[in-house]
Amino acid sequence: MSQALVTGLNGLSYAFILFLLAAGFSLTFGVMGVLNLAHGALYMLGAYIGLQIVNTLDLFWLAIIVAAAALAIIGYALYAFFLKRLYGRVPEQGVLTIGVAIMIANIVLWIWGPRAKIMQTPDFLTGVITIGGLSFPIYRLFVCGVGLVVLGLLWYIQDRTRAGAIIRAGMDNKDMTVSLGINYGLVSTLVFLLGMALAGVAGVIGAPITGAYPTMGDNLLLLTLIVVVVGGTGYIQGTMLGALVIGLLDTFGKAYIPQVALFFAWIVFLAVLLIRPSGLIGRKVF
Amino acid sequence: MALLEAQNLSVHFGGLAAVKSVTFGIEPGERLALIGPNGAGKTTLFNLLTGQLKPSGGKVFFKGQDITNASVYARTHLGMARSFQITSLFAYQSVMVNAMIGLQGVEKSRYGFFQPLFKDRALKAAAQALLESTDSWDLRDEIVSSLAHGQQRKLEIALSLASHPDLLLLDEPSCGLTTFESADITRRIRDLGPKITVLMIAHDMDLVFGVAERVILLHYGQIACEGTCDEIRSNEMVREIYMGTRKQLGAGR
Amino acid sequence: MDEELSQIPGGPPIAVPSPQDPAARRVPRPLIETVLPIAVVAVIVLLLPLFIPSFVSSLVTKMMIFGLFGLSLNLIWGYANIPSFGHAAFFGVGAYTAAVIVTKAGFSNFWFSMLIAILATAAVAAILGVPAFRVFGVGAGAANPIYFLLATIAFGELLSRMAIVMRPVTGGSTGISGIPKPDLGLGAKVSADQYYYLVFAIGVICLFLMYRIVNSHYGYGLRGIHDNERRMQALGYNTWLYKYTSWIVAAVFGGVAGVLFAYFGSTLVPNNLSMVTSDISFLLVILGGTTVFFGPLVAAVFYVGVEYFASIYLPQRWPLIFGALFVIAIMMIPWTKGRYQGLGPEVLRLWKKVTGGAA
Repeated sequence: MSQALVTGLNGLSYAFILFLLAAGFSLTFGVMGVLNLAHGALYMLGAYIGLQIVNTLDLFWLAIIVAAAALAIIGYALYAFFLKRLYGRVPEQGVLTIGVAIMIANIVLWIWGPRAKIMQTPDFLTGVITIGGLSFPIYRLFVCGVGLVVLGLLWYIQDRTRAGAIIRAGMDNKDMTVSLGINYGLVSTLVFLLGMALAGVAGVIGAPITGAYPTMGDNLLLLTLIVVVVGGTGYIQGTMLGALVIGLLDTFGKAYIPQVALFFAWIVFLAVLLIRPSGLIGRKVF
Repeated sequence: MALLEAQNLSVHFGGLAAVKSVTFGIEPGERLALIGPNGAGKTTLFNLLTGQLKPSGGKVFFKGQDITNASVYARTHLGMARSFQITSLFAYQSVMVNAMIGLQGVEKSRYGFFQPLFKDRALKAAAQALLESTDSWDLRDEIVSSLAHGQQRKLEIALSLASHPDLLLLDEPSCGLTTFESADITRRIRDLGPKITVLMIAHDMDLVFGVAERVILLHYGQIACEGTCDEIRSNEMVREIYMGTRKQLGAGR
Repeated sequence: MDEELSQIPGGPPIAVPSPQDPAARRVPRPLIETVLPIAVVAVIVLLLPLFIPSFVSSLVTKMMIFGLFGLSLNLIWGYANIPSFGHAAFFGVGAYTAAVIVTKAGFSNFWFSMLIAILATAAVAAILGVPAFRVFGVGAGAANPIYFLLATIAFGELLSRMAIVMRPVTGGSTGISGIPKPDLGLGAKVSADQYYYLVFAIGVICLFLMYRIVNSHYGYGLRGIHDNERRMQALGYNTWLYKYTSWIVAAVFGGVAGVLFAYFGSTLVPNNLSMVTSDISFLLVILGGTTVFFGPLVAAVFYVGVEYFASIYLPQRWPLIFGALFVIAIMMIPWTKGRYQGLGPEVLRLWKKVTGGAA
């Protein structure tokens, strides 16, 4: 049973990866109402870019920064050239971003080949800590640490800064916020870029755990959707809670009943969608 | 028996009471006008009466039946119909199609899934009658979005008559119309006959006094006062709330 | 200036003269001019296999199947403004049901498998539709159907995972293979070459039915809901019932396309239920346009053609082209009057030029 603790840490760290990934999506979805279904593919791109830097330059921190920056740039291009012109047209946003996701997946395949790549954890984070006879991988603890920091940061921004207040006001009543003279467009764009950068960070940090393979985009997108719906949008706590539920469910599921693991996540997703669409902690959607 | 009765109707949005304890009735054949400053809750009240909005408290009775929880379309079948303040038509269809879709709403044939709509002679004849009655027959092949505002408003009212209602709720029927067009609308509403009861939201006082027998003033979601036209015209409070103390009601703009 | 297309989406191609024209009355074209293009196309399609190598008729068969798939989604997306990212769920259910009936349950009759597939698809649609429309919303729903779209994605993914999990029935992740060519009963077995005609026949029947539906009283009810659901309710329409039933009807036609697909390729995999296949359906709808009835059919011809050439010259890069098609379709296809003006209207314009237009 104590092995469950190790699985628990794995689940927790996986949950934090999901959180970093879903936070970005939740922000664009909740704040801008934009359906960006390329989010999973972008995470994958971040992972591959990070992988490339780690494998050629062996600089972990640089990899994180470059991936975050690259994704922010690509995200901005996506917004400026396409999403801006599809304001309010959700199905079209979905269709376009699905197309972008398919293209990114094929480009990744083209550049890096079909075989899954493994990213080694950086030397200073490899190894285990032994407590009471159980071995806890240091890297997993690192991931949890990063996740907590980001969670804390975002939570702080949401509740205690002017930017957070603007975002929350905008989610309640966009027109009013704009008419108060607040440059909501700028804030939205910055939020979008922040979300992209977070996905990049998630990609690099998560790569040693989730691996990197050209078809992972779909899987991660679906997990993101589940997390965001289950947890709810509008509150960062909701996204974290959703990530926890799905991360732990998936990890424990895989450990004990491998065949049906992801299946349960979908059941939970549908159940939440139909019974309580606002999610566990989310703004009232209906 | 009153045709329509609202008892203690209220609705809240968050902490704001948009409509508070509104109670009134309307008799068959009556012409009742609902006036009030912007934001007074008139359209919200309409939405409560037609079922687009569920009240937080109170009841609505129509022809003696409690319809508080009835759906929007069920109320239409019972004999209620409305027009919208912001023109709500089928913008990308022709006027003829608008009329046919409108008329079909209370007909069993609306579920027919095999016979072409345009082979339905009875429906086409009914549509022709409806359009001719509002002088829109010549426009029947025009796409609604290409019509002038005044023509759209006429079609808006035509559609609200399509279900042969006993009670017609008109929301600002003369909204955005010229004086000439408003006078035309006033005449048409007056000519609707005693079989149709009319509850009308209006800002145009010529329209109100030209049509209504009774007037209710709504202010901050509550009924501030009600009475006949003369009573309202000479009421100090109404003047203060609505027109500003210097202007006299009905004395023109 | 070119004459305007009939503004009744999906209606027969009719010239609408300008308002100044004293004969400003819509005159239905003589039957010969609406039936003619259909007859011409039908004859071409029927005679084609005599003149072309069999791999081309195989492609045309695929065009017809995908055309039906796209048209079935168009019923709800184009006519009722119900977008769906999970239409392959029904396509796949139809396909898998027919395949299981024939390969595992021991019933070899084509019509029987089709019947059961239709019933299964209708049942699944009826079940999934109840919760789906609960999150659709009115008014805001059509404009902002995010949660509905997510639900449709979930349906496809869930069914796809069920197919993986139910290995004994569905063959798990390897799927079902070796689906035999259709047995029409009474000893009539359809060969690979003759399958073309079977697909054509069923396709024509389905198209005819769909055409009648969209031009019927019910069909105009859907169009009304597309443009202004709130008003429809105010006029007395039970819009939920319309949407729900159209969802089931669209699912059934999608399922029929799936059955045809199962017999066509002889192999089915779980991806036939998931978003990978749903992608194709809404690409066809957007590319083909939602103003003209046969839009998605035109798009299917285009799509299968592009896919074929890509598979020859750039096989590794087909997904890149595929993805680019989405981006191009969205960015380049005008969206006016609430509808996509895609390849369908273009083909119609060409046809009118060729036949001299309407005087």
